[in-house]
Amino acid sequence: MTVLTAENLRVARGKSTLLRDVSLTFHATESVAIIGPNGAGKSTLLKALAGTEAPTDGQVRLGRRNLAELPAAERAQEIGFLPQHFEPHWDLSVVELLEIGAGRARSLPVDALENTVAAFELGGLERRRWSTLSGGERARVLLAMVLVVDPPVLLADEPAASLDIRHRLDLLKALAERGEDRLSVVVVHDLDLAFSFFDRVVVLARGELIADGPAAELVSDPRLDDAFGVRFERLRAGEEWHLRACR
Amino acid sequence: MKVWIGLAGLLLLSLVVAACAGHAWASPVDLWRAIAGDEALRSRLLFEWRLPRVIAAAFVGALLGLGGTIYQGVFRNPLAEPYLLGSAGGAALGATVALLVPLALPQSWLLPLLAFAGAWGATLLVIGISRVAGAVDAAGLLLAGVAVAAILGALRSFMMLALSDETVSLQVVLSWVLGGVQTPTWSGIGWLVLIVAACVGLAQTLARRLDLLGLGEAMAHAFGLEVRRFVMLAVLAGSVIVAAAVAYGGLVAFVGLASPHVARWLVGPLHRPLLPASALVGAIVVVLADAIARSALPPAEIPLGLVTAVAGGPFFILLLARRLRS
Repeated sequence: MTVLTAENLRVARGKSTLLRDVSLTFHATESVAIIGPNGAGKSTLLKALAGTEAPTDGQVRLGRRNLAELPAAERAQEIGFLPQHFEPHWDLSVVELLEIGAGRARSLPVDALENTVAAFELGGLERRRWSTLSGGERARVLLAMVLVVDPPVLLADEPAASLDIRHRLDLLKALAERGEDRLSVVVVHDLDLAFSFFDRVVVLARGELIADGPAAELVSDPRLDDAFGVRFERLRAGEEWHLRACR
Repeated sequence: MKVWIGLAGLLLLSLVVAACAGHAWASPVDLWRAIAGDEALRSRLLFEWRLPRVIAAAFVGALLGLGGTIYQGVFRNPLAEPYLLGSAGGAALGATVALLVPLALPQSWLLPLLAFAGAWGATLLVIGISRVAGAVDAAGLLLAGVAVAAILGALRSFMMLALSDETVSLQVVLSWVLGGVQTPTWSGIGWLVLIVAACVGLAQTLARRLDLLGLGEAMAHAFGLEVRRFVMLAVLAGSVIVAAAVAYGGLVAFVGLASPHVARWLVGPLHRPLLPASALVGAIVVVLADAIARSALPPAEIPLGLVTAVAGGPFFILLLARRLRS
């Protein structure tokens, strides 16, 4: 079942075109990694899919409805968006942040907050303020805030970029596993993790869609080398892929 | 809960102390006699003049606390204050017109009315300019606010120089600008109660969305907030509240800036508890400052804005130092 569709998306800011004629279809249960070199338009695509950046041409559909015509509150219930950077302006506590996140649901089960605290291993951190949390704890709190209402769609913009390797692995794995029964679309910088964890990979370069397919097939596609402007040496270790770039 | 009982108790205590303080000091027994309906001149003076003024001071402080919290929430800046966006300049211009231009209306209500109109009009002008310039975000509003405040200040200075004469001195205008609570009648207090209740209600309807905005514009938008529309709405609401405070209390410095800080320290940064807590803190501060203004240098009265600035400045520096150390 298709849940999210991008139709001929074009995003222009001033004279520069950030995204050119991108069409994509996402299913209700899959994990998708979006990869591409700097300036490929990954973040722009994600913002357009999330409805936080209005496309210049084309449209995004959520189910059958045009995302741009959907009331903001309704959109927020359907789509969870994890931004690249997050820094609250006030030094809120973990439980206050979760309450703000839960506030966008029309109704929640009584134990939703408790369950979220347990699921994201936040027990004991509830009263701690944001400024006192470590990077790994912050990433878990942010994810918990976004997922406390359990939206059918999750869009994440490289949330692991500032984390150490262990936390990055944990987070990306959790995001990919969410694709088993929901839609999870994640901008990923680390190509090894993108090909190892995710069902499907979308490759962007210079604002254009270069390739889109199952991770297992796309990993050997020569268009990948062209998109990044390098030659990849592909090594396989069990389920996992390692791509080594050569000039 | 303890915090709320503490704040309410402190407000009550400061109301009693302030009602006792003045050119001629009264005891709590005198106060009780005046409230019970004693007909002696001293009791009637207390009841007709001092008590209404003390209560009005509490309401002015509450409005400033609310306004400051809303502005700091909208601009996500702990240094934002309620007189941002030209409302102080507009109010001062309105009051200057009321004091210097002979108009055929009683000044007792012309002055608050024009101060209110000036404060709100200036904010509308700032919003209008930022829309025309296509800069409807918080930064655009701030820039437009600085420009409008400068123009209004210049206009007021010109009016003061051109229109003051022997009958109306510059001192009268200046003392209004430096802040001072009007003494309302008891029916006026009734109106104030309604105004403040309405303002508290209005502020509470913004609370959840102010919390969302505190997550940053991108996150707030992702969580379903129409950011630009809400910023306009909250600024309009904040400016009505501030304009009401200015109409009754003139320009009182520092209270709207400092009250939210104290309240945040007491109840945390979520706006649903923060707004009423900030109103209570503001009320306590202005009641005590007004008592000092009335009783420090008898028989003269020090402008309230000077008292709050002198007391609030060092307090604010202490608060900042604490924050930086932690």
